Amino acid sequence: MLNIQTVTVIGATGTMGANVAGIFASFGNAKVYCVARDLNKVKKTIPRIVKSVRADSIAHNLIPADFGMLEECVANSDLVFESAAESIEIKKSIHSKIAEALKENSVACTGTSGLSITSLAECYPDALRTHFFGVHFFNPPYNMPLCEFTPTRYSDKGTGEEIKNYLKDTLFRTVVEVKDSPAFLGNRIGFQFINEALQYAEKYKDNGGIDYIDALLGSFTGRSMAPLVTSDFVGLDVHKAIVDNVYENTNDYARDTFVLPDYVKKLVEENKLGRKSGMGLYQMIRYENGFKRNTVLDINTGLYRDVIPYAFPFVDKMKKYIKEGDYEKAFERLINNRSQEAEICLSFLLKYIVYSLYATEEVGYTIEAADDVMATGFNWCPPLAMYQALSTVANVPSLIRERLPEICKKVDIDRLLADVKASKYDYRLYFKSGR
Amino acid sequence: MGKVYVLGGAQTDFERNWKKEGKNMVALLKEVVADGLADAEITLDDVRTLNKDNRVACFVGNFIAEKYTDQGHLGAFLTEVDPAFYGVPSARYEAACASSSVALDAAQSKIVSGEYDVAIVVGWELMKTVDSKLGGDFLGRAAYYEKEGKGIDLPFPKLFGRLADETLKKYPDLDEKCYMDALARISTINYENAKRNPLSQTRKWFMSFEQASTRDTDTNPLVGGKLAVSDCSQVTDGAAIVVLCSEKFIKERGIAGKPIIKGYGHRTAPMLFDKKMADNADSDYILPWTRQTVLDAYRRSGLTVDDIDCFETHDCFTSSEYAAISSFGITAPGKEYEAIENGTISFRGAKPINPSGGLIGCGHPVGASGARMFLDLYKQVTGKADAYQVAGAKNAMMLNIGGSATTNYVYVVGLE
Repeated sequence: MLNIQTVTVIGATGTMGANVAGIFASFGNAKVYCVARDLNKVKKTIPRIVKSVRADSIAHNLIPADFGMLEECVANSDLVFESAAESIEIKKSIHSKIAEALKENSVACTGTSGLSITSLAECYPDALRTHFFGVHFFNPPYNMPLCEFTPTRYSDKGTGEEIKNYLKDTLFRTVVEVKDSPAFLGNRIGFQFINEALQYAEKYKDNGGIDYIDALLGSFTGRSMAPLVTSDFVGLDVHKAIVDNVYENTNDYARDTFVLPDYVKKLVEENKLGRKSGMGLYQMIRYENGFKRNTVLDINTGLYRDVIPYAFPFVDKMKKYIKEGDYEKAFERLINNRSQEAEICLSFLLKYIVYSLYATEEVGYTIEAADDVMATGFNWCPPLAMYQALSTVANVPSLIRERLPEICKKVDIDRLLADVKASKYDYRLYFKSGR
Repeated sequence: MGKVYVLGGAQTDFERNWKKEGKNMVALLKEVVADGLADAEITLDDVRTLNKDNRVACFVGNFIAEKYTDQGHLGAFLTEVDPAFYGVPSARYEAACASSSVALDAAQSKIVSGEYDVAIVVGWELMKTVDSKLGGDFLGRAAYYEKEGKGIDLPFPKLFGRLADETLKKYPDLDEKCYMDALARISTINYENAKRNPLSQTRKWFMSFEQASTRDTDTNPLVGGKLAVSDCSQVTDGAAIVVLCSEKFIKERGIAGKPIIKGYGHRTAPMLFDKKMADNADSDYILPWTRQTVLDAYRRSGLTVDDIDCFETHDCFTSSEYAAISSFGITAPGKEYEAIENGTISFRGAKPINPSGGLIGCGHPVGASGARMFLDLYKQVTGKADAYQVAGAKNAMMLNIGGSATTNYVYVVGLE
């Protein structure tokens, strides 16, 4: 019987490692060895971990350690969670070390956001391989409860069930079992949307590009943050790693939408990675007197210019309706407005529904999986709820056939839509007014 | 006397921040009214039809939207929800945090007297429109503002911190550590319970006995006397609705299985906290008028504490839930800690308090709390509380207070 009292988190100074250590130490009330290369840096990270779950009382559960102590930490742990850099070589070398010290009945996990879990499992001898799983948290885990859980073909079923229950009942995660497939489910769906938005920014660069597309897919379309702002927030390097991985290792009808546009490649090469490096798709310029200027990359010139306060009639109207809770009128406006902007917006929402249904079939086990990952990992209106939202004013299958004829040629749309169920999520929470 | 039935209702997700969603009070009302009427199986056409014969009315509970959202004349706002409400009698009721209980009381009276057959009771408050300091000042108006609120930072935590001090003073045998740990346990139980409630404000938050009992730290600072953040309910946006009806309506529609209001109590204690404390000198209870309100509800319902399967109480602070335990009659006054320590009030205990998570766990949009508690009584006795269902609950009691336990309201809802 699994009894997780002691945990080792490797890579505890990274954003994910630190936040996940906080989850184990708080909800799990586990003693957590926080391991990273630089012991001093770990010590400095501890207050940040405490703050991430707003509980000083967990401080005594957090024990700083460096790689020199790894063997001892692992040997004492019931669960080892690796959250090292997203490189298969680095991860393999760490898991080989874990394998040497792991107790017979302990569990090892990787927090990878898309590398092959099966190949990492193979770092372990047969007896331990059965206790290895992918456990993919979303950031920040205190607010985003999603946990994508991936057993491999070597995994022991019983142990897998116990870990799932631990994640669900003790750590209060929304656990979604997914297959060992590039980027898993949440990022596969989410980054398909975001990357295609980046492509559209290039396609419509003469209309404004990045901020033009964000103005069409903002919070009024069922998310808290516009997609390209999200990419800047996540980091363009992380974005690139995810879409490259999917592009190289999958082959579905939407594969071309995972091609990273050249202007983004260039930003990554110039180390303009988004918010963490001060500039990326956007750049916030702060003046000494406190004045802030939000600027955006002009794809044509490569220079940053002021963000344009776009005013599209259908967007303004939708926001006014949403402000007063008239969701149906807002959706009606979106569907009946035939401006280029409204058509782009609606086509993205419909493509999102179709791709989610498609991807969940390939990567997940249930249709609800797509809903769980998008609601609890991205805080986006999940696809079944989006379907339900648009269904209040339109026949969604006809709308998809009418607006996405190319995609309908590539996928068996009737079969995909035949599985649609009512969502357990309330779409009204996700459609927002305001910026 | 005519019976008052509870047809159903709804609450909004108390985790939501409506300002961040860019939505106003009309959006809030539209959502909660749509959900509540659907649950009660009343359509807007029903409202129109009933209204032709003046058989339906609306009762709105809200404390202080004038401050939070610059809006008064709140009873009239249901007309913005749908034209079906044109012409429907509707007014706003206010008694600080007990606002929707007084709306419920007005509603039940009109049904008992036979004037209306269906009463729609909506309680709401949007509080995240301002920062917590300014909001705290607004709430000071639930006390005697000039004497107890004006110019004071967070007046209410301070008043309920004083309730903690006075409790220790009144019961000299009560050890301070035992009391403070009991308060920390109250907080922990409410947070734990809220984890089972999919509409609670704190369902993702972390709390443990250790965190709650370690006060005066960066993440658990003191906010009023001995009380820390973990002892307080948090600023919440939300609305709750319940639909009541007459026996005539039940018979007309052939509805079965709906619970009734079995009893209520309503008492007003002295406004000023000092006078409240001076007034308890001859009583064993720290809040004698709160106790009296419970006794009135027991008398009216013909029930005793033995008949009540679960409670929803007004834990705006842990010190108020502590006082409620003896007021309900679960323990003798001064011995409340026993019911906390031995698990009586826990979710699986003999007398669970706040299976919903209460104000600390579920949230406290002040004008909505009375209706939210009442809705939870309905859910419990009809077996609709899902993950936080108290097994086999037949009768449930709520205590809703306004101010520093100034307005006291108790309802008992149960199956016939």
